[in-house]
Amino acid sequence: MVGYASAVTKDIARWHSSGLIDQTTAEALRRDVAQNARQGFSFGTVLTILAAVLLAAALLLLVAANWEAFPRLARVGMIFGVILAGYVGGAVTGRRGSAALSELLFILAATAFGGGIALVAQMYHLSGEEADAILIWCLGTLAAAAALRSPALTIGAVLLAGTWLIMTMDGLGWRAGREIPLSYLLLAAVMWAVSLWTQSATARHLILLSLMGYAIIHHIDTDTLVAPIGLTIVSIAFFAWCLLQPVESERWLKLNEGGTVQGLLGFIVGMSAIQFALYEEPEFIYVAIVVFAGVVGALLLGGRDNRLLRVLAYAAFVYEICFVYVVLVGSMLGTAGFFLIAGLVLGLLAWLIRRVERRFAANAGATA
Amino acid sequence: MNHTRWLIPIALVVALAQIGFLASMIAGRAAILRNGTEVTLAVEPVDPRDLLRGDYVTISYNISSLPGSIFVPSEAEDRSPYAVAVRLSRDEDGIWQAVAAQYGDAMAAPAGEGEVDILGTTYTAPGENVANVRMRYGIERFYVPEGEGKPIEEGVRERDFTMRVAVSEGGTAQIKALYENDRLIFAEPLY
Repeated sequence: MVGYASAVTKDIARWHSSGLIDQTTAEALRRDVAQNARQGFSFGTVLTILAAVLLAAALLLLVAANWEAFPRLARVGMIFGVILAGYVGGAVTGRRGSAALSELLFILAATAFGGGIALVAQMYHLSGEEADAILIWCLGTLAAAAALRSPALTIGAVLLAGTWLIMTMDGLGWRAGREIPLSYLLLAAVMWAVSLWTQSATARHLILLSLMGYAIIHHIDTDTLVAPIGLTIVSIAFFAWCLLQPVESERWLKLNEGGTVQGLLGFIVGMSAIQFALYEEPEFIYVAIVVFAGVVGALLLGGRDNRLLRVLAYAAFVYEICFVYVVLVGSMLGTAGFFLIAGLVLGLLAWLIRRVERRFAANAGATA
Repeated sequence: MNHTRWLIPIALVVALAQIGFLASMIAGRAAILRNGTEVTLAVEPVDPRDLLRGDYVTISYNISSLPGSIFVPSEAEDRSPYAVAVRLSRDEDGIWQAVAAQYGDAMAAPAGEGEVDILGTTYTAPGENVANVRMRYGIERFYVPEGEGKPIEEGVRERDFTMRVAVSEGGTAQIKALYENDRLIFAEPLY
């Protein structure tokens, strides 16, 4: 993203000096590029954030491992110090224009907040639910993300929310019987709003993935097909909306045109759950036909301008063939037969994909 | 942009809010230790597989499993985990025993002389009519310095350990001190 921005800025300067555009247009274009370049993470930013996570982990482990060496109040003071220095330091560096360093410091501070919750639990021997502690950590991080308009913290909050969701489904021992939190849907909606404000498309993609996970957890927990069927229908509608009204949907979703990919993924996840539930029933084959039709339909309708969607559709196709094979043919053929069929099908598929790709390329060339 | 100008004050507010939250957690726990009613519970041996986990010991008490017969019927919110109020009374050995329990945040009948109400949670739904209800009070974990968990774990099965627990007015329990017979092994400082 940054690479693109600097390339365009150079182009603008060249167009301006060669008289193609006037001063005001050049200024307007530069402003637009600068504004939109903020949206994505560069590779450097990602590395910086990874460094922040490692530093934070090291800090927490150091405190945890040597907790006898530090007096209790010193440990608390250290955590408080990191929180204060991280947030304020991040704000200062952010104002100076160093976005990556600023995000690094914010993440350090938010990690220290989580470490603080764990430290207090350790100090007073609290044995409440770990899931509740993670939820508090998530909410604190989300509030900080919104207040400081930090994309990295938004992603952090979404990951913590997902962790909370997974922890609540731990069906072992005394935790059995805990209900899956409906409130996650509310939390997801709030996180979505925050991610629009902090301009983090990554966070929005992660939220969509977590909602698919939520549907699957609901399915496992209740043993009904309500959630997978709902997920499938919503995904189809979502796909259709992103496909038919790309401008309108992008304005609301801001998924960097990844809406159709998410729609197809949701369709596959939902249908897979339905297939797993029906694999011994005669209806299985009809469900499989719907999946094939859905994948091919998505490929033909939305695949032309979206490489990621095409890759996902191919992968889904192979996955579905394996699924159908295992369920329908698996018992009839030996291993040698499996390799033969798999080889033939993959060969055929490769040929088909090459043809499809060539056609899309030719079409794109014709319309360009 | 306007937001950038306020970034540093906002960051300060965020930091102070999170620090304040942690500080209030500490203050709340210290208040229970300082002002809570002290009860003594017997530490019971638990399944050894479950006992030692990393740097803490999982412990169980004489009130961790309640007979279904002491439960007072009540209207409870149907949401797992269920809150249960448990009434404790001191026996002749100085150990506090559960004498009554009720689903909900508090017992309907007020506590009598020498009785303390403690709040716990369970995953057993009301009206399930089981012989024993498994309870948790948020004091089932005892953090120990690395490597010191094993002796405590082994000791629990051979010797008598008791735990002094502070109970707040609202029923929240907080570990205060661990005793082996009458010998103090560990006492929780306020901060």
